Amino acid sequence: MKAWSLLLVLLVALPLVVGVVNLPTHDAPDAPIHTGVGVRYLERGVEETGNKNLVTAVLLNYRGFDTFFEVIVIFTALAAVLALPRGSAARPGGFPEEAAHEADGAGGRPAEAAREANGAGVPVSPVVSYVVRLMAPFMAMFALAMLFRGHVTPGGGFQAAAVFAAIFIALGLVLGPARVAELVPDDWRPWLQGAAPLAFALIAAIGWRLTGAFLGFPTDDHTAQEAMGLFLEVGIALGGGVILARLFLEMET
Amino acid sequence: MSDVFDAVMLTLLIATAVSVARARDLLAAVVIFSLYSLTMTLVWQHRGAPDVAMTEAAVGAGVTTVLFFITIARTTRREKR
Repeated sequence: MKAWSLLLVLLVALPLVVGVVNLPTHDAPDAPIHTGVGVRYLERGVEETGNKNLVTAVLLNYRGFDTFFEVIVIFTALAAVLALPRGSAARPGGFPEEAAHEADGAGGRPAEAAREANGAGVPVSPVVSYVVRLMAPFMAMFALAMLFRGHVTPGGGFQAAAVFAAIFIALGLVLGPARVAELVPDDWRPWLQGAAPLAFALIAAIGWRLTGAFLGFPTDDHTAQEAMGLFLEVGIALGGGVILARLFLEMET
Repeated sequence: MSDVFDAVMLTLLIATAVSVARARDLLAAVVIFSLYSLTMTLVWQHRGAPDVAMTEAAVGAGVTTVLFFITIARTTRREKR
């Protein structure tokens, strides 16, 4: 058994090592990354897409189609998790909606509500609770900054989504998942969960109307181009954040 | 200096990766794995990819770690031999 494992590891490792050894060095002028489409992105990316951050330019513009299906992948992941039947392993505490009502009935301080709601019966550490509640607004500011400055500085919709989700999760651990679930109104939930693919579909349709190409961006109208890019970023941030947070809530409750 | 940094980081990456695979306590494995992600964040940043570094820190070290924690809380902490 051990010998077979070793053989398997060698079979995987050998091609990897050979491949890495044969990679061109970073400064080789004839390396594929310096001769392919990358050159055009670097030379004309800012002018063609209006994004000073070329990562965003590639993600939303040149490779917009890839990103479209990436957000569909995240959406499908949540759909798959939501479709799973709740087994007998589920902890008492029920669905977030029910737990929310219990927490309301209990009233009192958040820590008490959390103990009721999270079902584990473990009191929340006051230090953790204080730090999370102190940091949450700053994290939100940081996420917003990444979202709205993502076309100029590092960051963008996906990163903002992850930080938004982190705020939800951290607050959920402290206040109990039920109170966090309340933050997203029930009527909005399906729309927010699908926000990223929906935003892409809408922008793709608008691009089609304006330029005749699916997901096309009008290169001559910088205002429209920037507005469309920003709309996509907001869609990705909201949709991605809500999906990640929902995955957490679904497992926690 | 840059090479020294790379060497230290890559050694740390290998060390954490091996520790994760060897750990029988899954809670410890998740904590070490989050350390792996943080090291990776520094490597990305050092390689001039701040966008990837941000994603690694938020998703790799943050969200995935929490999801793993919940999974352990709902299953078991010890790996069966």
